[in-house]
Amino acid sequence: MKTRADRRTPEDTADKAGHSRRSERPRGETFVWMTAMGLTVGLTMIVFLLGLVVTNGVGVFWPRRVALVEFREDRDTRFQGGTKALGVITIEQDRDVRDLTIEQSESPHAADRREKQLFLGNRDAFGQAFSFFPAGDIQSVTYPDDVIRAERLEWGDALFFPVRLEMEDGTAVEADDPIFHSHLHRLVEDAAARRAQIHRIERYEIGRINLQMHQLEQEERYFARQDSLTDQQRSEREAVAGRMDELRAEYQPLADRAAELRSKQQRDILVYRLVTGEERSILVGQIVHHYYPNRLGVAGRAQIFAGQLWRFLSGYPREANTEGGIFPAIFGTFVMTLLMSVAVMPFGVMAAIYLREYARQGLFVRAVRIAINNLAGVPSIVFGIFGLGFFVYFVGGGIDRMFFDRALPAPTFGTGGILWASLTLALMTVPVVIVATEEALAAVPRGVREGSLACGASKWQTIRYLVLPAAAPGIMTGLVLAMARGAGEVAPLMLVGVVALAPNLPLDGLFPFIHLERKFMHLGFHIYDLGFQSPDSEAAKPMVFATTLVLILLVVALNLIATLVRNHLRKKYTADKF
Amino acid sequence: MTKQPPAKAIPERFIVRPATLWFDRFMNYFITVGGLSIIIAVSLIFVFILLQVLPLFRGAQVEPQDSFSVPQDDYVVMGTDEWAELPFFVNRRGELTFLDTVDPGGPHHRTAFTRAPAWLDETDVGVVVYNPLLSQLVYGTADGRFAILDVQYEATFPERGGREVSVELQETPLLSIGSTEVPVQHLAYGSSGTQAIVVVIQQVNERFEMHAVSLVQQRTLLGDGQWSVSQSYDLSEHLDAAPRHLLVPSDADAVLIGMDDGRVLFLHFDGQEFRKRQMFVPFRDRADRAIASMNFLLGDVSLVFTASCGANRIFSLYRDPQREVRVWGHTKTFPDLERGASFYSAAMRNKAFLIGDGRAASLRYGTTESIRWQDELPFSVSLAAIGPRYDRMLFLDDGHTLHSYRLDDPHPQASWRTFFGRIQYEGQAAPEFAWQSTGGRDDFERKLSLIPLIIGTLKGTFYAMIFALPIALLAAIYTSQFLRPGIKRFVKPVMEIMASLPSVVLGFLAALWLAPIISNAVPSVLLAVIAIVVAALVVGYLWGLLPQRIRVRLKPGYEFLAFVPVLLLVGYAGWQLGFVVERTFFIVPGESTGMQIADFRLWFPQATGLSFEQRNAFVVGFVMGFAVIPIIFTITEDALSNVPEAFRSGSLALGASRWQTAIRIVLPTASAGIFSAIMIGLGRAVGETMIVVMATGNTPVTEFNPFTGMRTLSANIAVELPEAPYLGTLYRTLFLGALVLFLMTFLVNTIAEILRQRLREKYRAVE
Repeated sequence: MKTRADRRTPEDTADKAGHSRRSERPRGETFVWMTAMGLTVGLTMIVFLLGLVVTNGVGVFWPRRVALVEFREDRDTRFQGGTKALGVITIEQDRDVRDLTIEQSESPHAADRREKQLFLGNRDAFGQAFSFFPAGDIQSVTYPDDVIRAERLEWGDALFFPVRLEMEDGTAVEADDPIFHSHLHRLVEDAAARRAQIHRIERYEIGRINLQMHQLEQEERYFARQDSLTDQQRSEREAVAGRMDELRAEYQPLADRAAELRSKQQRDILVYRLVTGEERSILVGQIVHHYYPNRLGVAGRAQIFAGQLWRFLSGYPREANTEGGIFPAIFGTFVMTLLMSVAVMPFGVMAAIYLREYARQGLFVRAVRIAINNLAGVPSIVFGIFGLGFFVYFVGGGIDRMFFDRALPAPTFGTGGILWASLTLALMTVPVVIVATEEALAAVPRGVREGSLACGASKWQTIRYLVLPAAAPGIMTGLVLAMARGAGEVAPLMLVGVVALAPNLPLDGLFPFIHLERKFMHLGFHIYDLGFQSPDSEAAKPMVFATTLVLILLVVALNLIATLVRNHLRKKYTADKF
Repeated sequence: MTKQPPAKAIPERFIVRPATLWFDRFMNYFITVGGLSIIIAVSLIFVFILLQVLPLFRGAQVEPQDSFSVPQDDYVVMGTDEWAELPFFVNRRGELTFLDTVDPGGPHHRTAFTRAPAWLDETDVGVVVYNPLLSQLVYGTADGRFAILDVQYEATFPERGGREVSVELQETPLLSIGSTEVPVQHLAYGSSGTQAIVVVIQQVNERFEMHAVSLVQQRTLLGDGQWSVSQSYDLSEHLDAAPRHLLVPSDADAVLIGMDDGRVLFLHFDGQEFRKRQMFVPFRDRADRAIASMNFLLGDVSLVFTASCGANRIFSLYRDPQREVRVWGHTKTFPDLERGASFYSAAMRNKAFLIGDGRAASLRYGTTESIRWQDELPFSVSLAAIGPRYDRMLFLDDGHTLHSYRLDDPHPQASWRTFFGRIQYEGQAAPEFAWQSTGGRDDFERKLSLIPLIIGTLKGTFYAMIFALPIALLAAIYTSQFLRPGIKRFVKPVMEIMASLPSVVLGFLAALWLAPIISNAVPSVLLAVIAIVVAALVVGYLWGLLPQRIRVRLKPGYEFLAFVPVLLLVGYAGWQLGFVVERTFFIVPGESTGMQIADFRLWFPQATGLSFEQRNAFVVGFVMGFAVIPIIFTITEDALSNVPEAFRSGSLALGASRWQTAIRIVLPTASAGIFSAIMIGLGRAVGETMIVVMATGNTPVTEFNPFTGMRTLSANIAVELPEAPYLGTLYRTLFLGALVLFLMTFLVNTIAEILRQRLREKYRAVE
């Protein structure tokens, strides 16, 4: 006690004196720096994380040079038995200490303890798309001019040296022929156009017929199950059979047309040589697109980048989602969020108007307000399990028994679907909308209401013509926040209808246009599925990063809109206070 | 509008159109009803989840359904088909009487018919036992032989619906065992499909003899052939008291003999010979040690005993750690019955058993020590059976009436103890909390304790909070108290962007990007964290020592920017130092080469005996921090910023430094708000799903080791619900998990919300 008192005395007197040397140094500055550290770390974390996702996500589409790596003859490292490997150098890092031999760990060359990861492509030939090579064993790295990188419909990308093009008519163009490049380019373009045509026929025209046939088959099965048919049912059954025949007749020419186009896809062959010297061939129809990675300038790269990005955003997934595009996932997220907004908006706003304008403020309303606030904090998975139990099994099962009994036991609404997913998320986000709307209503000055009522407007007129318009931006903020939360949520969706690969979009050109019972794809679930369910998670990583970037951009954009609107509002109301 | 002044006084333009009034009244009504119903609908979530959970805690519903008269005889065995439609009874002479309980003719036209094995005219029957799982009767004859009788039920489903059950008997010839021409007193039989043994006990001139035979089945091209005796054993030497009970488990690897002095002898059979393994007394602590009944529970690794005094216990096989063999041990104790049991039947789908004496009948569940149902019946029971589908109970009373009871018990395993208590499952040496919902074997028993999941949830939350709390609070204090207001406008939205990051993105980064990095460099990460914290204090202190003319160059409120280079530098230095530390201290000999390897991942398990996984709580805590920091930050910052300006001004005017003002004036005033921020952050961490699903191995654990994963309540739902059959026990248990989660977060959030409202009122009072 004594020492403490001793220590404090001079300072206390100094404070009293007011102009001691010590008074220049305010107390606790050290700890201010400590708190500054908290903010710096927080900001660094977020900047770093966003930077990581952006660089990795964008980097996926940026064409990179393809290196020809030659290994030292006197070392053991070989690739497929040869001394050369062709690939994009993706990572350079220290090797795991456990893999090092004694000589390597004591070697004077640091390169002996490092390794390079190469993206090799050609999964069909090499088995794996990525491989690590010890950096110390590498003799030279060159970038040969005539390497082609081709995106294929199957087996991922291929890296190769072209040899020749073999056409259907028996002619061939050698790779050193000056017209080879333009020729190949034209053939690939033609094939892409045909592929789009086949896609259109199969997805939309044949798809429409398939959908109708599927419904008719359900009817047929239902009739077949019945013990005895009434006259009316019997004539119905005949009608179904007739309709079925019509559809089959419609189907045939379309199928023929698709088959004809398909056979054209098989005509031209590209012969190429791998780095190992092996010659292989590929149908030009199998090539999605191709480029010479080592010949490109910045403009060329940017062009390739834009093309790859566009194909990613607008294409359909291939190869268990690890290749191709994510259009169905973007579209599914969009439709689901839209449906959710349609469901959440009127209910949330109505509940908020009741709480703020109609209910007598008292203990009950206070309790309700606390409960609603808390509901926003209830874990999303709880809403998911509720959605499954209530919407899918209870309501959906009931609808099936009442309206879709002909399809049973195959469930129509009694299984996860976009409607149930939207409603589940609507329930989850309704507190967000209620809270935001209430705040917006509360921010409308009392004077506005009193003035309106004094002028003889009814309560509803006041709300309808004055309060709601004034609160509209605030309500919109709430809705946008709810959308952001809904768009980024995955856990409940996993239970109520999201799938890794949906055969059809929830919204398309076929009657009844919006298919509420369909399962759908979602960006968030796409990330989960790619990163964790795909057989080769290393190969899927670039796609996951790209998808992540899209999802983050979507959610952050929604949040920024909400924040901007809110800030704008604050200014507006602080400006014209009554 | 309420008063009606004289009509002519009002100019026409002031008259309200009735439509407006009507519409206003309608909207009043509509919004009130609509608003209330939305609020009710939302609160129904809780009710719905509760409704899904409640059936778990209901006991068995039993109600009498039907009764049938059975031909007068002295029955010793009762058996039934799968639907309990064609039960049979075996009398002392060995004849089977089948009773068709589904009446084909009229309402009271029940048919009974009798069958008997063909050899019955050759010899008399000494004893009959029935194995309901195999649906086999085994006879021991009066002349020292035995025979097996297969009761083969067959169900056909005719076109017109319904079901027809028929029966066929298939008998083996009599085989010799033990002393010939001496009646068999006790018999037990076990068959695993490849190995079978039959054990009999006979009384030869006041002395008990025990004989066993092992059987082999001739396999022919046409399928399974006849059983024949491969070897005989004389086990009489083991009998030193009068035997009362004899059992052989279905694996045919043991013989259990209950003696009349209360001891149980356990002989193990390894396929070649019988060896005595254990002798135990189930009721050692009771005055009367006599064993009234001794029976197997489903799976034949648990024995249900009753003493003559009525005590009811279960002994189970478990691996004795000292002897490294499986022995029997006391695992469960049930409430006493009136007397020792006179009838017993084990369920064929779960660990339930029906036990009783006279009029008292009790349906008990072995695993949970719970009584599913208990009643005084209006008749005295001589034989009882649980239907194979666990939907029916049959009682044969001493007046030769068969009573059929409907049994409705969809969740027999569920009880408070199952979910929240320690339970000793079969084969375990001690009671424990365990979650394991699926297993490889058919007779696998689900382990449904929520405790490992709750512990996992708390573990994840704990590590997330350890990391998030300091950063969020420090950042909030700095932002609200010291940061330039102009910069604050940008800082807050940036932090809020962090809150909006979808958790699936964080989970993906944690699992595929961060987990490999962290697991490679645990010492580096720890050192970098320590270095940054120490650097903050050191830089702050040194800065204070600098002369004023240098210090004025950095305006107050910009410290965080000045700290950025320090952070990067020190963080990097700490990171690199970590590798040096690892190379110096965390050295273990390599498994294959014997070389000294510096690797924390290998060192940690060796040094502490705990395991190290790549996807662990440490990683989850770190990444979950991203989700929790912005929440705590925003709310704390609001609470601090809303402290009335007068407080701050007053304190500063009295000469306190900005730190003193912040820590002694602002912080205590806003403490309730800060606490509520922590609570809300806690709620978010508790319910986080995707990060945990992706960034841990999802193994249920009951320890707090930072370098192993865990399974949280929420992750458990996400992982298991898609596979859970609708309305099954697992389905409802997952709803129970959701309910627990709901209540946990709701409670935490309510406390936070109430505190926040209090705080708001406090500020209002000051202003």
